[in-house]
Amino acid sequence: MRPLTDEETKIMFEKLSKYIGENIKLLVDRPDGSYCFRLHNDRVYYMSEKILKLATNISRDKLVSVGTCFGKFTKTIKFRLHITALDFLAPYAKFKVWVKPGAEQSFLYGNHVLKSGLGRITENTMQYQGVVVYSMTDVPLGFGVAAKSTQECRRVDPMSIVVFHQADVGEFIRNEDTLT
Amino acid sequence: MRRLYIGGLSHTVTQKDLKDRFGKFGEVEDVELRTRRDDEGVPYKTFGYININISDADLKKCLTVLNKSKWKGGTLQIETAKESFLHRLAEERQTAAEQRLPQTAAEDQRQKMLDSLSKAGVDNFTMKAAVPGTEVPGHKDWVVSKFGRVLPVLQLRSQKGSRARTLKYDPSKYSHNIRKLDRSTADQPTTDQPTPVTQLTWEVQGGDDDISKKRRGEFPPYEPPTRKKSRTDVVNSHTAEGRTRLKQTVDSVDGTEAHQFTNGCEPPTDHRLAQGKGPRLTDSDVDSDEEIRRMARAHNPSHAALRQEEEDDKLEVVGLDYLEKSSRARQPRRGSAGDEEENDYDSADTDELFASRKPPPPAQERLTLPTAEQLAGNDTDKKRKTKKKGKAGEEEDNPADSEKHVASRKPSSTQQSEDCDKPGSQNQSKKLKVLPVVKPPSSESDSDLDDDEEEEELESADYSSDSDYEAMFSNVTRLELSLADLQRLAEESQQTCKTTAPSVLGASPEQETDLPSRPPERPAPKKGTTPEEILAALMEEDSSEDEQKKTKKSKGVGSAPLPAFQGTRALDDRSQTDECPRRRKAEEEEEKEGGRGGQVKKQKLHSEAPQLNHRATGGKTNGQKHSATQDTSSEEEEEEEEEKAKTVSSSSSDDEEEERMEANPTDVRAKAAATASSSSSSSSADEDEQEMISAEAAVKAAPPPAPHSESSSSEEEEEEEEDEEEEEEEEAPPRAALGAAEEEEWQRKANARRLAAVKQRQKEAEEHKKLIQGALANLDAPAAGAGKHIVFGSDDEGDDGVGNDADKKQATSEVTTSKKTLFQDSQSEDEATGDEAAVNENATTQGKVRLKPSGPQLFGGSENEEDADEEEDGSRFDIRPQFEGQAGQKLMELQSRFGTDQRFRMDSRFLEEEEDKEEESEKKKSVTEEEEALDEERKKNLSILQSVLGSSQHTCSSKTAGKAKTFRDVSALHYDPSKEEHAAFETKSDETKKESKAARRKKREEAQKLPEVSKEIYYDVSGDLKAVFGQTKKDDVAGEDEKTNWDQEEEQDDAEEGGKEERPTLQSSLLFADPSAEKEEASGFKFSFFGDDAETGSGETEYKVESIQAPKVSWQQDLRFHDSSSDEDEEEQEDEEEQSNVAALTTEEETPSKTDLFFFYPEDSRLTEGPRLFCRSSQLEEQREQWEERRSELRQEYRKKHKDARRKLKSSQKS
Repeated sequence: MRPLTDEETKIMFEKLSKYIGENIKLLVDRPDGSYCFRLHNDRVYYMSEKILKLATNISRDKLVSVGTCFGKFTKTIKFRLHITALDFLAPYAKFKVWVKPGAEQSFLYGNHVLKSGLGRITENTMQYQGVVVYSMTDVPLGFGVAAKSTQECRRVDPMSIVVFHQADVGEFIRNEDTLT
Repeated sequence: MRRLYIGGLSHTVTQKDLKDRFGKFGEVEDVELRTRRDDEGVPYKTFGYININISDADLKKCLTVLNKSKWKGGTLQIETAKESFLHRLAEERQTAAEQRLPQTAAEDQRQKMLDSLSKAGVDNFTMKAAVPGTEVPGHKDWVVSKFGRVLPVLQLRSQKGSRARTLKYDPSKYSHNIRKLDRSTADQPTTDQPTPVTQLTWEVQGGDDDISKKRRGEFPPYEPPTRKKSRTDVVNSHTAEGRTRLKQTVDSVDGTEAHQFTNGCEPPTDHRLAQGKGPRLTDSDVDSDEEIRRMARAHNPSHAALRQEEEDDKLEVVGLDYLEKSSRARQPRRGSAGDEEENDYDSADTDELFASRKPPPPAQERLTLPTAEQLAGNDTDKKRKTKKKGKAGEEEDNPADSEKHVASRKPSSTQQSEDCDKPGSQNQSKKLKVLPVVKPPSSESDSDLDDDEEEEELESADYSSDSDYEAMFSNVTRLELSLADLQRLAEESQQTCKTTAPSVLGASPEQETDLPSRPPERPAPKKGTTPEEILAALMEEDSSEDEQKKTKKSKGVGSAPLPAFQGTRALDDRSQTDECPRRRKAEEEEEKEGGRGGQVKKQKLHSEAPQLNHRATGGKTNGQKHSATQDTSSEEEEEEEEEKAKTVSSSSSDDEEEERMEANPTDVRAKAAATASSSSSSSSADEDEQEMISAEAAVKAAPPPAPHSESSSSEEEEEEEEDEEEEEEEEAPPRAALGAAEEEEWQRKANARRLAAVKQRQKEAEEHKKLIQGALANLDAPAAGAGKHIVFGSDDEGDDGVGNDADKKQATSEVTTSKKTLFQDSQSEDEATGDEAAVNENATTQGKVRLKPSGPQLFGGSENEEDADEEEDGSRFDIRPQFEGQAGQKLMELQSRFGTDQRFRMDSRFLEEEEDKEEESEKKKSVTEEEEALDEERKKNLSILQSVLGSSQHTCSSKTAGKAKTFRDVSALHYDPSKEEHAAFETKSDETKKESKAARRKKREEAQKLPEVSKEIYYDVSGDLKAVFGQTKKDDVAGEDEKTNWDQEEEQDDAEEGGKEERPTLQSSLLFADPSAEKEEASGFKFSFFGDDAETGSGETEYKVESIQAPKVSWQQDLRFHDSSSDEDEEEQEDEEEQSNVAALTTEEETPSKTDLFFFYPEDSRLTEGPRLFCRSSQLEEQREQWEERRSELRQEYRKKHKDARRKLKSSQKS
């Protein structure tokens, strides 16, 4: 476990900023204590200082997970967001998409969101903007990337994809073994 | 006349253009231009139709000339068009009319024929008792056929080839072919007269049921949720009953009354209703244009709204600041509301929906009430939404219940005016919105009584209801009704509708149409069996009206016109004449009930009542009960319409409802239970409502609770009341088993008791107020027993134990019980102790006691105990020595685990003393190091973040929003001087002031100094000032050059200084400059901003030397010029300075004033020198000589070069 290098931090922040914009600042500089990002097994964990200290007692090869996993770096050094970060990112999400109850399941099975399943969308969403997907009852369901801007979403036919699936809470079950 | 289509026009073409264009070919009668526009309103196609009187030849010509010709950027396309629709229609009609004329002629013939036939004994083409085959006497070609039917003998032209020219067809011979058809088919037109087209449209006969309606193409408009539908059905049946009842009553009274009744109902047509009825589908076949238009009007907005909604439903786009609803929290509530959920979901559009909602089209009987019901339902919905409280266990199916529900909710809105404001205003606004669509006068009673009348009324839309109403009232002959009459009436009505539910009773025709929650009000006069009941019922109305007034007042909508109060007048009048004491009492009660807690309201009411009475005496003195009540009701309605305040009506109805519950004991019990349950179930329901219910419940709860409430009034506090209420409510149901007669008696008693209780409460409240006032007054006054100040932890407390104890008791009692008792107690005890300062102490001790964690004192026992406690108390707040310091803190923590238990009091012995200070420090060090590392990391992260965000633009743009999100509670922000960050909050006004003062002083000093300096300069040159004059050397030079032109100066300077020292640039020459000198100069310049400057200026006028150089110096001071000037330069200058300083200084200050000026001033040197530039400076001959010299030189040079060039060319060619 080690702190992230500048490069890694930059990559990760770039990714996070797609979803929560400058609200990353609120994650880094929290009023309720100092929190930090740590890299372990190519995964980025977000944890409080306290947990960080506790984790120092565990050897590196035995440590499976600590804090909250935000995502992992791929072999090509790209950051991939994990669904576990949802709890931290959803409250700060800038752009949201609400899916209709009928389309919820489809999304939770890892499918993209179609126009027909789109219940509501934040205005001025740009194309390829990272969004947090909510159910109509405002339960965060996962991450996505807007395939169409809000304006386009109005026009397109019902079967076209409006949000690309990135991560969903169904992964907690589907990827139970790899999700840390 | 032809009609031509002209296509391919440009958008700019006007009708006149077309007319002119085609006028050449014929007379253009009508031009019709059409422009097609796309979604954005951009025209993409323009075409037109013209009616033109044109001959065929001309038309041909026209087509050849104009067709496919270019005109104003478009290619014309001309075709003959069909006749305009209108024209064709007109023609058709004309031809139809023409055709009718011959028809009439034929008809005349037929008529003659018929007459003659009838003369012969033929009736309707049948001849009774005639043998088939006989001729009709007098008519040769008519034969009697089977069934006595008279038929003509036909002469048929025979076909070619046959011998006879004609064939005679005698129907009597074929009479066996004739069948007698059914009557219904026989009714069909037998004549050969063509049926007019208008009658060809067939019509599906049918009843008023839905199916047949749909067959006829009349679809019910948007139906609210199913629940309501079912409800409406139920109520519908009720209404039917109510109507019959009404008819009966009307019958029972004489005709005049009936007339009056209808009249009274006409004006108060409900806007709401009318709106609801907007696109009313009338049963009558007359569809006047007006009606259709109205329908369309009503339809359009609603459709638009719906469409809008639909669109929105498809894809909702929310703003960035969209707040997620806490839907999960709200859902359970919604769930309880059952099918209202749907309505809840799109709460925003309810108003629109509401407005657009139309009544189900069915029979006119159905027309109104359903909508009203809907309104009620919606109202509740809205209420629910606004108040955000759901009612669990609500019985939605039962309309009566729901009604009650509405009603029970309403009082809160009226009595708690804050609450009422919101929905009320909403309603109002909505109403206003709706109003334009609505036709004011549509009478419900009319709809019942006379359809035709209604039609008429609808058409006469423009009459002002007020004046009409007044006129009507003047016409009305009032019925003299004695109490006995009323009773009889009531009995009659009761017989008819005794069995119906109360809510059913409530549905009187007006109310059906009018408002949903109203109904209960109505029944009273009809339902009551005994005079008391009738009175009660009447009073209900009265109260309702009062309520209305109240609410109106509270709302501040005082626009109700006079006529509205006429009924009240009569009613009041009547009530006065009756002077029934019980009634009075009841009224009072009602008022109290209505305006409980709000005495002001009551007062208002009272103040208004006499007014009304006064008016009544002035006006109509004969108080007829029935008419009066009806009037009031109608007037109420009108008022409502005018106010457009649904809340008002519903509130009033609510009160009525409650009242009715009292009045009609048989019904009440079940209902009371229901309301009670509902109220209890609604935990968040307003207190008023609960109070009312509880009060009733209490009253009903007979002796036990009532005395209880009276005697132990202290326990009837607001806090405890609810509990009590519930208890009483629980008690109530069993009471329901009481007999009816008993009930009545008991009810009366209960009323009295309740009244007493209410009075008691008021008294208490007043007392309470007084006490508070007294206490406050004492607070203000200086304490008499000043020595009895209570200081925390002081030993004095023991001395004045008694007084304190009393206070404490009060305080403790306050914690648990209400203030009333508190103050009563305190008063008594204060008196007992005779301690005036007690109140003061009270205040202090109260706080103290509240702080105390342990409870023994709360239920304060004997005084001894308290004395002991008291002493302990003093020490309780001392910080115990063992808890001091850091170790102490730990100990404290330890102890706090055990609470305040005496047995576990911690001592220093319990402290573990294992911590080594070194270790601690080491730890600290490491901790700090780690923290630092973390901090650094964080900083780094933030910086990276900054860079990331900076790169991505869209995130940067919303940065401010992010900042706004970090909420800081300002109220929680306190200045803590010990904190360093809070130094920012400190104002450092003093310091800055001082500084500024000092600076100012300094400046002033400087300013004062300088004049002195200038004085000194003339006589004495000190070493310090040397620098000052360093720069003046140049001025000196300038002074010498006085007479040179201002633009030549530079050159001359250049020349001069170039001689002395070689200066590379012109600018540098102007700078002399050792830095000190410049500084001085600068300061001098600065100083010139102050007033002393002027003095010096004036003082030195005599030494004024014109110099233009000085300002330049000041302007061109710049450090970069220092480089260019060498050191030697400076030295030399210094030498010169001393010689020339006398003259220089004066110029320094004077010249800028003149040469600085951009504009010319009189005797400006520039003006004199400027023209010289245009003159020759030297002699012409000299110039010529110079020129020739120059010329020869140039020539030589040129030749030389030329030769060279040639040579070069030659050499190159050679090579």
